[in-house]
Amino acid sequence: MTKAYKYSIVYFLVFSLLLILSGVLLFEYKIGFSVEQISSYYLGDEDKFINPQTSSSILKIITPHIFAFGLFIMVLLHFLIFTKKRSSKTLKAVIYLTFLSAILELLSPFGIINNIEFFAYVKLLSFIIFELLVLFSSWLLFRSIVYE
Amino acid sequence: MRFTLIKDLKQDSMMKPILSGLLIFTLLYLISDIFVKSSSFGIFEEMIKTTLFGNEAEFLDPITTSAFLEFWHMEIFFIMMILLTLSAVFIRLSGAKGFNIIIVNAVMISALISLVALLLSFFLNAAFVQLYILSFFSWHVCAIYMSLYSLVRLYYD
Repeated sequence: MTKAYKYSIVYFLVFSLLLILSGVLLFEYKIGFSVEQISSYYLGDEDKFINPQTSSSILKIITPHIFAFGLFIMVLLHFLIFTKKRSSKTLKAVIYLTFLSAILELLSPFGIINNIEFFAYVKLLSFIIFELLVLFSSWLLFRSIVYE
Repeated sequence: MRFTLIKDLKQDSMMKPILSGLLIFTLLYLISDIFVKSSSFGIFEEMIKTTLFGNEAEFLDPITTSAFLEFWHMEIFFIMMILLTLSAVFIRLSGAKGFNIIIVNAVMISALISLVALLLSFFLNAAFVQLYILSFFSWHVCAIYMSLYSLVRLYYD
């Protein structure tokens, strides 16, 4: 990898951190980091004047995210293939877990609006795991750029 | 990113039109982004401040926090993907030496500053709007230069 490409990737990692920050802020402002807040955001809350979400409103939000998540994860993780971590079990686990947490994060709202409270936990947990895995992948990539 | 592996892009009859298309689309996006922002969010101080903080005299409401964060979130995603792709093509075609490596750094840093300045102007101090405008135009100018330079290198060098 030439030095110039390494610059681009490091900047990409900084953008990724901003993306994570904006995702966390959005989650906090729009939904909230508790199971009760997640449930009331999707099921509605008369006291807080929150309208319940419908399948179509959820679909409208997740459709661009499905593509964006896939593209972002692919771009971020494929850089790790060019590092010494290429054949490691850790990388394989990170790849599967990142995609799995992303898909659970996107689809769990459908469970919530069908009154299955379990999916509120899934939403919260998958969001946190996804963000942590992106941070971990970014750290692995940054370390390999600096030290390899 | 297959184009990073092809030895001579200028002689490759398949990759050359593909990269040309990508660069032209990127160029169009950068130009239309300026027009879209000028008619919606604003690209000059007064309009941006009205969008962010509203205007009591004209009974205009400020943007809500969640709407602002959604806008900021989308901006980050688009900018990071465009600049990663564009810089990869530019580095491959320019050889990334001297002035061109400065341009790559300049486009990335100014884009990052524009995003951070936008956040700070909404949550911290309206004075950051000026920094946002400066960095917004800086990264657009650099990115337009990179697209045009890459196109020229693809055909005339």
